[in-house]
Amino acid sequence: MEKTTVEVGYGSVARVKIGDRLPLAFIGGPCAIESRKHAFKMAESINEICRRVNIPWIYKSCYDKDCRSSPDSFHGIGVDDGLRILSDIRDEFSVPVVSDFSEPSWAVATGEVCDLVQIPAYLCRQTSILRAAAQTNRPVHLKKGQFMSPWNMKNSVRKLEADGCNQIILADRGTFMGYSMLVNDMTCFPIMAETGYPVCFDATHSIQMPTSMGNISGGQREFIPYLVRAATACGINSLFMEVHDDPPNALSDANTVLDIQYLENILGQAKIVHETRLELLDKYGEDNVHPEK
Amino acid sequence: MSIPKNDAMLVNEVMMSLDQVPVIDKKVILKEALEKMGRSRLGIACIVDESFKLLGILTDGDIRRNLLKIQKPFSAFFVDDAIVHAIISPTTVKPNVSLKDAVVLMGEMQIWDLPVVDDQGHLVGLLHLHPAIQALLGIPQ
Repeated sequence: MEKTTVEVGYGSVARVKIGDRLPLAFIGGPCAIESRKHAFKMAESINEICRRVNIPWIYKSCYDKDCRSSPDSFHGIGVDDGLRILSDIRDEFSVPVVSDFSEPSWAVATGEVCDLVQIPAYLCRQTSILRAAAQTNRPVHLKKGQFMSPWNMKNSVRKLEADGCNQIILADRGTFMGYSMLVNDMTCFPIMAETGYPVCFDATHSIQMPTSMGNISGGQREFIPYLVRAATACGINSLFMEVHDDPPNALSDANTVLDIQYLENILGQAKIVHETRLELLDKYGEDNVHPEK
Repeated sequence: MSIPKNDAMLVNEVMMSLDQVPVIDKKVILKEALEKMGRSRLGIACIVDESFKLLGILTDGDIRRNLLKIQKPFSAFFVDDAIVHAIISPTTVKPNVSLKDAVVLMGEMQIWDLPVVDDQGHLVGLLHLHPAIQALLGIPQ
């Protein structure tokens, strides 16, 4: 199986290479773009932390949140304003940016600005969304639906490939266990990696308890470090976490975003676990137990 | 009663043409390969690249053995690329080889089908045991 390296970044921003045996990359930021001022503040803070930890990163924030539980929840700043802010963050911090899009007609504009385009987990098998993402000619961050098996993500991968996309990152954000509960099956990483594409762990959505609070989702943030260490040891190539400086007042995913005060701690650990895993592979060889299977 | 033998016949006089054989692309998943094999009534599929170069073969026996060995859910098994379960360097035969030698080879290898490839390794047909024996024995097909 041929392993693909995904290169994120165009123009003047830093290039982030994600793939086998490469440094762990971080994808993060506030769930939603709340305001220009807040987006810049978060980008500046995360940029400084990533510089200290020495980890390549991609700024993530969305201009439209189409899967909110309540009609009264913050829906987003909108395509035009949101992409303008992301474009300015690119210029200011020389960092690649990513946003998801939940409507095929937004794909072109999203791809014109964003270095990486993201497909929401709930829409991971929608042909129109996958086709639109592929046609942006940007790398695609494809979240595994909470209802999908890791092996069936290959069908979504094949849809992207059918439209010419060969730069894909596959992410796990938990799997439904009954109602309002997610679990992480760590075997999903080697299974999804069989596609040849790099894999990512979305830690902050994995601890979500979908719509457990009636009309919003809850979450168990205390488990983030445990899951990050486990997923990193299982061979992820990138780590995704939504980060906020004031989680209780975050306009989106207030119960799951990581308080930025813990970011350096968790990224530092993830980086060490990742590097240790690579050292173990060098020392003991690839994970090749029972290769007859 | 003696049956006339056709010792001088060549493989390419008896082999099945490609439109009679399950031929699949390297990216076809196992479920699709099994469906194609089922329609053909043969227990083999030949996996080729864009230029019809033979990459491997998938047989009923391989699937049977792997079902017992690879204990993962059927839904995961079905979505594997067929080539993951294929024999990558199968026994093959050239089209101008004598049919008798090809049948002897099948006996030695204990196989029922021989992919027929040209000098560049491109698949050109399939020799199936039953028509080969019938031809050697001079039994009309």
